[in-house]
Amino acid sequence: MRRSWLVLGLLMAGLCGCGGTSDDAFNTSLVALRTPAETPASGTSPTEGRCAHPTWSLRPAARADGGFVEAIRRRGRLIAGVDQNTLLLGYANPLHDQRIEGFEIDLLRELSLAIFGGPGHIKFRALTTAQRFSAVQDGTVDIVADAVTINCTRLELVNFSSVYLSAAQRVLVPSSSTARSLRDLAGKRVCATRGSTSIAALERYPKVIPHPVAQRTDCLVALQRGEVDAITSDDAILLGFHAQDPYTKVIGPTIEAEPYGMAMSKHHPDFVRFVNAQLARMRSDGTWRRLHRKWLPGTPRQPPVHYRD
Amino acid sequence: MTASAALRPLSTARVRARLARTPGRLRLTAWVLALATVVFGVTAVTVASSRQTAAESVATRSEPQLLRAEGLYASLSDADATAATTFLTGGIEPSASRRRYLADLKAASRQLAALARHAGNDADSRAAASRIATELPVYAGLVEAARTNNRQGFPIGAAYLRRASNSMRTRMLPAAERLYVAEATRANSDYRDGTANGGLVAAFVTGGIALALLLLAQVGLARFSNRRLNVPLVIASVALAIAIWGVAALVDEQNSLASAQRKGSDSVQLLSASRVLALRAQRDESLALIGRGSDTTSLADFDKVMVALRGRGPGGGVLGEAARVARRSHSVAGVAAARAALARLEDVHRRVAVRERRGDYASARRVYVNDELPQAARLDTRLEAQTRAAQERFAADASDATGALDGAPEALVGFALLIAALAVRGIAVRLREYR
Repeated sequence: MRRSWLVLGLLMAGLCGCGGTSDDAFNTSLVALRTPAETPASGTSPTEGRCAHPTWSLRPAARADGGFVEAIRRRGRLIAGVDQNTLLLGYANPLHDQRIEGFEIDLLRELSLAIFGGPGHIKFRALTTAQRFSAVQDGTVDIVADAVTINCTRLELVNFSSVYLSAAQRVLVPSSSTARSLRDLAGKRVCATRGSTSIAALERYPKVIPHPVAQRTDCLVALQRGEVDAITSDDAILLGFHAQDPYTKVIGPTIEAEPYGMAMSKHHPDFVRFVNAQLARMRSDGTWRRLHRKWLPGTPRQPPVHYRD
Repeated sequence: MTASAALRPLSTARVRARLARTPGRLRLTAWVLALATVVFGVTAVTVASSRQTAAESVATRSEPQLLRAEGLYASLSDADATAATTFLTGGIEPSASRRRYLADLKAASRQLAALARHAGNDADSRAAASRIATELPVYAGLVEAARTNNRQGFPIGAAYLRRASNSMRTRMLPAAERLYVAEATRANSDYRDGTANGGLVAAFVTGGIALALLLLAQVGLARFSNRRLNVPLVIASVALAIAIWGVAALVDEQNSLASAQRKGSDSVQLLSASRVLALRAQRDESLALIGRGSDTTSLADFDKVMVALRGRGPGGGVLGEAARVARRSHSVAGVAAARAALARLEDVHRRVAVRERRGDYASARRVYVNDELPQAARLDTRLEAQTRAAQERFAADASDATGALDGAPEALVGFALLIAALAVRGIAVRLREYR
């Protein structure tokens, strides 16, 4: 009898001599592992606005005493929103320790030279295609040079410089493709970047199946993996793709003219005038032509420039 | 013949009359003793064999599967973090991180094959395992495409890496998590079966009642007859006491199994969860730096993961819980070292974050590669070592648990039959004196 009490005592000691339960450990580890992933917000493509001459910018003013240029000079750095994945225009070169290089980057370095007297006073901030305008509006960046097509809708959000490159929306297909223009791609999947003018233009070709992606180079990945049959974008971007994959070709006529301008805040028209003055200088002293030859294929053709005031 | 005479059936109508006489009382006593012993026997054997099954299942199936699932989850997370980090360091990748990435892939394939072999017919686990099996080669191909393009200086390399990391994040890691959760749930329910109190208490109570009845019967018999000692009943009492003592082996098993869980398995779960989270944080930060400010989601994810790891106050988060659990096995020092490593990591991270916010990505990348990554490697080594130590604690205790039950059910069956026979025999001897 006494022995069984002893055993019962032992049993109770075995059952109850504990603090937290193992279910706590089980639940804690599971809850921690289930920390939900952040999901990126998807960009929306705005509807087309209307205006007479979207590419007409503000008349240049060479002298920029005071105002926003002075603020940038005091800060010591120009903050530029760029893309780091667009070969030829702006990309982080892994062979050069991830330095950002390209035609647009060199134009920005010219601005740095004009403001600070040296080309290196720039912070490059990478932006996705959909982030470009909000970054200008909320002051995250001073200026965006990232293959931005000037149009009426965007003119309601930001101010543009004069046109620094006349690009054209075209189509890239694998070199084995028999398609000769976008019309031949009915029922095919065509890749374009979310929030770009190119994907908006696809709406005029209802038989084409659009395949939107977040970043430009995602389109080339999709093409190489056979997930899409073609890419539509600006020729300057497509030529960069072709340089990375020679088994591709650019086809068809211009779908839409894509005049590129640098985007700046509407609060700083003085900065727009300053940038336009610099662009005018680059056109007249041969800098623009030299940089175009350095980065882009084909003969440099200076875009027509108009001012609205 | 004596036993069957003692157990001659009683009809309810005559019970009252017969109970008035001594032979009737004796027969009833024999019935009650036999019944009590059989009830004890059945209860004890049931609980012993169900526990033996559970303990064996924990030691040979559910815990090894859980460890494989944890290993797979950690290998995939490590491959993800290493691929992103290697890409970030750019140029010619360090051969150490390349080797580490390849070792991760190899380990993941091995664990996946073993998991699938032992998955049984759980449809969910099989689906998750086959999802990883089909995605893994695609993932490896994307990483290689990223490398090849990166080596030629093509920006599309970064897009391939994004794609690879995305498939890891949205498809493979969730499948690995599902596998892990399924195995952890199964292991936990095996532990619960192996350490449930109800059956054990019932066995002790029925054993105690049987022993009490046996002793009462002896006292009564001694009072009615001249003989002080009824040898079969004494032997039965001793045998019953031994059988109850045998049930105590189940307590021992329970203690070993509970200790395997509390000191081993609990720690393994918490530490490997910490490791997976730490690797996720490292991947996040690498991706954020690769993104140069275009990738805000990765940084937000990093902050969330840190909160899950260390909580908002001292002793919080999954590492805080791991430290509490480590107290049970006196291995607090190892977990404390891991927490200290995490704190140092966060100090460096703040330096990186300040540079990132300023837009000074080149310098942020330098600090990250030179100062933060070595710290992250130290944290990972610590967590891995602690996980392995906890696994060893588990293995030792779990083998004690299965050892404690060897032959217990068979022995209990024999004892119960012997005790019942002896009890009936002891009464039958007295009953014969009335013939």
